[in-house]
Amino acid sequence: MKKILVVEDDMPIRNLYKEELIDEGYDVVTAPDGAIGYELYKSSRPDLITIDIKMPNMNGLELLDKIRKEDREIPIIIYSAYGEFTQNFSTWAADEYLVKSSDLTEFKNKVKELLFR
Amino acid sequence: MSAEDIIKDYQDILRQYNILNQISKTVASTLDLNKILKIILTGVTLGDGFGFNRAFLFLIDRHSKNLKGRMAIGPSSADDAWKVWSEIQDKNYSLEEFLDSERFENEQQLSFLDEKIRNISIPVDINMVIWKCLEDGIPRNIDISSTVPGGENEATINSVKEIEPAVLFGEVKAPAQDNLIQVININDAALIDAELAEYMDYPKFCIIPLISRTKKVGILIVDNKYNQREITPDDIKFLLLLGQFAASSIRNTIIYNDLKDSISALSKLNMKLNYLKDYNEKIIESIPVSIIVVDHNFTVTQCNENCGKLIGFEKETFIGKQINAHEIFIDGVSLIDEIFKVIRENKAEGFYKVNMKINGEKTDEIFDIILVPFRFSEESPEGAVIIIENVTNTVRLETELGNAKKLSQLGKLSATVAHEIRNPLIAIGGYAARVKRKFLEGEQTDIGNLEIIIEEVKRLERIVNEILDFAASREIKFSHVNISNLLLECINFAKAAAEQNNIDIVFECGSELVENANLHVFGSRDHLKQALLNILNNAIDASSKRDKIRICITTDGKDSYYDFPGSGHGGQESFSSIFSGCRTEGEPECIIIYVNNSASLSNREDIKNIFLPFYTTKTKGTGLGLTITKKIIEQHSGAIEVCSSIENGTTFAIKLPLLDI
Ligand SMILES: Nc1ncnc2c1ncn2[C@@H]1O[C@H](COP(=O)(O)OP(=O)(O)O)[C@@H](O)[C@H]1O
Ligand SMILES: [Mg+2]
Repeated sequence: MKKILVVEDDMPIRNLYKEELIDEGYDVVTAPDGAIGYELYKSSRPDLITIDIKMPNMNGLELLDKIRKEDREIPIIIYSAYGEFTQNFSTWAADEYLVKSSDLTEFKNKVKELLFR
Repeated sequence: MSAEDIIKDYQDILRQYNILNQISKTVASTLDLNKILKIILTGVTLGDGFGFNRAFLFLIDRHSKNLKGRMAIGPSSADDAWKVWSEIQDKNYSLEEFLDSERFENEQQLSFLDEKIRNISIPVDINMVIWKCLEDGIPRNIDISSTVPGGENEATINSVKEIEPAVLFGEVKAPAQDNLIQVININDAALIDAELAEYMDYPKFCIIPLISRTKKVGILIVDNKYNQREITPDDIKFLLLLGQFAASSIRNTIIYNDLKDSISALSKLNMKLNYLKDYNEKIIESIPVSIIVVDHNFTVTQCNENCGKLIGFEKETFIGKQINAHEIFIDGVSLIDEIFKVIRENKAEGFYKVNMKINGEKTDEIFDIILVPFRFSEESPEGAVIIIENVTNTVRLETELGNAKKLSQLGKLSATVAHEIRNPLIAIGGYAARVKRKFLEGEQTDIGNLEIIIEEVKRLERIVNEILDFAASREIKFSHVNISNLLLECINFAKAAAEQNNIDIVFECGSELVENANLHVFGSRDHLKQALLNILNNAIDASSKRDKIRICITTDGKDSYYDFPGSGHGGQESFSSIFSGCRTEGEPECIIIYVNNSASLSNREDIKNIFLPFYTTKTKGTGLGLTITKKIIEQHSGAIEVCSSIENGTTFAIKLPLLDI
């Protein structure tokens, strides 16, 4: 079973993603901020990571940067309520950049696509 | 003495009086100092007059007080002398004729002597015979020809023959003994200025002091180097007479010239003043402000072109008339009344952004009007200056700017709001879709999912409410508020919430102020309650289980809070503005409410940001609490500050002015 790490500070959204991804048949671990997200990345060895940008402690871009330094292969989806982050080069290190939406279809499609490409 | 001798003597005397007369007449015709000096010296040297070979004139320099060589007349060699005399003899010039002649005009270049004498400057030294002359007003007839053995230097000056006291006409009462000539042996070269002695190069000469009344002017030295005629007591008598006359003409001329200089300086000053006056008038005319000056009985004494335009009259027809000939109203108040008040109270008054009604006509222009009491001089009664500036354009610009600012704020606000409500919307939408899908798939509805939806809707509501609170300029109604009671109410309310998490709210100090229930502020009870609850709720939110929230209340900003965390000596610095405000005398008494919890703000940035809208570190926070609190406190003329450290945690201080009941 593929394991996905969801790093997201907003609790309802974090739960939503978790439940939806579990329904899709994945194993899901979650973290409420970047720092914990990094620890979980190290300890639980996920196959894919989804990261929110605006988070306390370590923000999504910092986390992305830190993980990429160690692992250039692992698929990472970065998303935010802010569309303007696409302009930020540091988001380019991710495999996918998504703007948050209540319709999770695209999100789920991308996860599948990246895991089985 | 034979009759012939007597006649000759009288003839000589007559001749000399005649020359004196001529000199004085000529001198009287001019006020040019150089010319006067020349006339005198020429008179002294002219064969027709006193007939001395050479004459030298020294004047006391006004600045250095030295005797300075001014002019010398005489041939520079025996040859030259002979030439000059024969010429005068040939043409049989009288002094008057000679003074008018070309020769006199050209004399300037003639003298090599003259050039040299101007470089001689003799400092005051009372041992020197020339200074002695000036000191006692007695002329000296000097002969330094006979040498005294013993030294080269002494050889040049060894004796001074003096007439003492000399005949001073009219001034010094002295026996008219003509031949009282003493011979004194002097062994001091310094008695005659060395430079002067070298320059004279002849051992026999006479020094005449030039003294006008008591004022020392200079000295005149004469000698007969070329024909070596002895200088007689009679000569000296006349020289003294001439010297007196010369001294006073020289002095008068100097005074006259000084006067002339100061007059010309004065007239220059006057020109400058006129220029300044012109300049000021031009400035007053050219500034885009109307200026009216009225005197104590409201007569317009001055006004500028602009003012004419404003009133709708020619400037000239306005000046000299009573200003109350025109009806001028400032926002319905009569200008005259205001001027009257300003003059009476001797205090300036300003009206800003007002409308004016002039002679029944009202414009939609906007003005700043300043009235200043004014008097032309100490003695003149008080008048006033009225300065009127049309600020219509400025006000218009300001309004536009304000609108633009509001718009940009609105833009920023809506952008932030949009982002803030996105998270709950996504959660609601996401869960709703999920519930629907599960339902369609025939699965049992997950109550947890629905609960999240409900929670998130509540969160949205909260955000919207706080935004409304923040954005709406809801009118706040002010009244007397018993702040003691209000504080107690809020604290009890907070205690209930805190208890659930085993958090203690304790009074560190000032509980009596709350219990006595006698502190009042002027404000809105509802708003103040919201502000205080926000602070208390934040403290509860920031506290972990079994933490303490400490409250301290003071009214005078001293003693009690010193041991209070975050408000001790260190804290005092952090709360500087609040403290200084409270300690100033004449300021209303204040209440300061400190609320402290042990959690510190995570970093410096936080302290800067916590009052900004939407800044929150909480998952369910809105980040509007402190923004609203600050706004409310400021609406109550209070202040709010925060300081935070790891040791002392976070302390908020709220200052509110108290009502004096
Ligand atoms: N007493 C306090 N102790 C520590 N942090 C505080 C305290 N009060 C406010 N804060 C910080 O300031 C932020 C903004 O507070 P506020 O404007 O009330 O918004 P909210 O409470 O919705 O987060 C909070 O999220 C918190 O990080
Ligand atoms: Mg709050």
